Amino acid sequence: MKNDNYIVRPLICILLVVLLGGVLLSLNMGKVNSDTALLLGGMCLTLAVVYALLRFFPLGDHYIFMITAMLGVIGVIMLLRLQTGHGQKQVIWFSVGAGLFLITSIVYRFGKFWNKLNKLYVTGGVMLFLITALFGYSSGGAKSWLRLGGFSFQPSELIKILFILTLAGVFTNEYKKPKEKDVKIKTFYNTKLGRNCAATVVCYTFLLFLLLQRDWGTAVLFFAIYIAYMAVYGEDKRFLLLNGVAAVLVSIMGISFMNHIQVRIETWLRPFQDVAGKGYQITQSLFAIGEGSFTGRGIGAGSPYYIPEVHSDFIFSAICEEMGILGGLAVLMLYFVLVYRAFKISLSTNNEFNKAVAMGIGVMIGVQTFIIIGGVIKFIPLTGITLPFISYGGSSMVVTFLSLGILQGISARRREIEDEI
Amino acid sequence: MQEILPKILTYLFVIVVYAFIYTIIRMIFLDIRTMARKKNITQAEGYLKLMNLKTDIDFSVNESYELEKDNLIGRGPKCRIRIADPALSSTHCRIYKAEDTFFIEDNDSANGTLLNGENIADEVVELIDGDKISIGSLMFMFVRPEN
Repeated sequence: MKNDNYIVRPLICILLVVLLGGVLLSLNMGKVNSDTALLLGGMCLTLAVVYALLRFFPLGDHYIFMITAMLGVIGVIMLLRLQTGHGQKQVIWFSVGAGLFLITSIVYRFGKFWNKLNKLYVTGGVMLFLITALFGYSSGGAKSWLRLGGFSFQPSELIKILFILTLAGVFTNEYKKPKEKDVKIKTFYNTKLGRNCAATVVCYTFLLFLLLQRDWGTAVLFFAIYIAYMAVYGEDKRFLLLNGVAAVLVSIMGISFMNHIQVRIETWLRPFQDVAGKGYQITQSLFAIGEGSFTGRGIGAGSPYYIPEVHSDFIFSAICEEMGILGGLAVLMLYFVLVYRAFKISLSTNNEFNKAVAMGIGVMIGVQTFIIIGGVIKFIPLTGITLPFISYGGSSMVVTFLSLGILQGISARRREIEDEI
Repeated sequence: MQEILPKILTYLFVIVVYAFIYTIIRMIFLDIRTMARKKNITQAEGYLKLMNLKTDIDFSVNESYELEKDNLIGRGPKCRIRIADPALSSTHCRIYKAEDTFFIEDNDSANGTLLNGENIADEVVELIDGDKISIGSLMFMFVRPEN
């Protein structure tokens, strides 16, 4: 292949970034002790191993993992700079996620039954919601965490994937032989209207659970995914109208009755009215971004500790402060390319179900990035949700890797032959 | 010095990230170009057009294949038209041109080659525009564009 040169270059870039990050950390923070250096080395090793596997076996798309690796590396360096413990855990989560990414891609590729498990996805999602409702505990205003052994995780992260698989199944499955007695239900389900109704019911059930958990950020994400599917497969303006009305109604109800939402809207519209109190988070974030200007203050030279939750929701402000708007834009561009890849895979595969799944995953990552970055820069009201691959958080990291693993599996199925010719 | 060095290194850091994005986009761009070139079917003397719905097929297959002077069709690496259909033999059948006419012959395939629904067995059969060729789980139509 004549592109051999190109294929090594991104890896070199990533290793260079790790090296530069390490040097910067040790210069400014004195933070690179032997443990951290070992962890950074371990991360490079994980990258190299996964990359080599992707390179030398026909496992599909090369780009997805490289982009996520770059995002992960930026995240780990920022976290190490903010709080060494978080950074170290993040490296472990990254490696676990990368392993899971490979396993998922292979499992997804060789299983041919993914479009037939619709009922299982829905029941799984509802069960997870019920378990969270019963045994969950709250953190940051949303009762959406579950503790299992020593780990705590957010089941709604996993339900995202189940939701995408369900919607993809609903819109693309064919039911060939309806049984005698329930012909009517089956044939109704096969019509466009029936499918739209099924998708709507699933979506609103999940949304209800999310709103009960008071996890508005994730609810918006689910709704956006659903709207994307309706726009592509629904082909029905009545549903668009209905959903618009429902969205307006729910937001009006939220604004007028829920204190939680009122505060968010208030701080979004007038953050500087109560800088020391309600508006503290968002104003600190804005100050940090402003302080960073175009080129940033240098990694380790900023003062991101003023921002609450800087390691998870507000990590983008810290990046903007220390690497400048240019650094922030670089991160945004990485997400752009990632989402572009997802849509590209969706367009070039020839299995309808896989097409729909790939589209959903692309929409999920795109919208999630939009919601949190938009919130942090005060473009839209702030809702707590993680920035994929950069924010600190095990469940987010692992689940996003899981969804990309599915994407990778889809791309591998398509590529099997193309590469050999 | 203590002020400037971290700044310069941070600039370098961001520049490397941009270099990375540039390389990735360039790679994707090259990929697109090769794919676009592949799809461009030139005026061939004859080609095979896929009759199956692409959505029913799990493996990658083109909508159409150009025919040259000698075309081996199958799963194996020796074939000019290579399709990963599990129901195909590694060298399934052969379509070749002799004196301006295309002929098809079966290459001792496990599942046989059907021409318009009939097994051609070990005969060599002349192909006419519109003939339907079934191999493995696929069906192709033989097309000879009039020049």
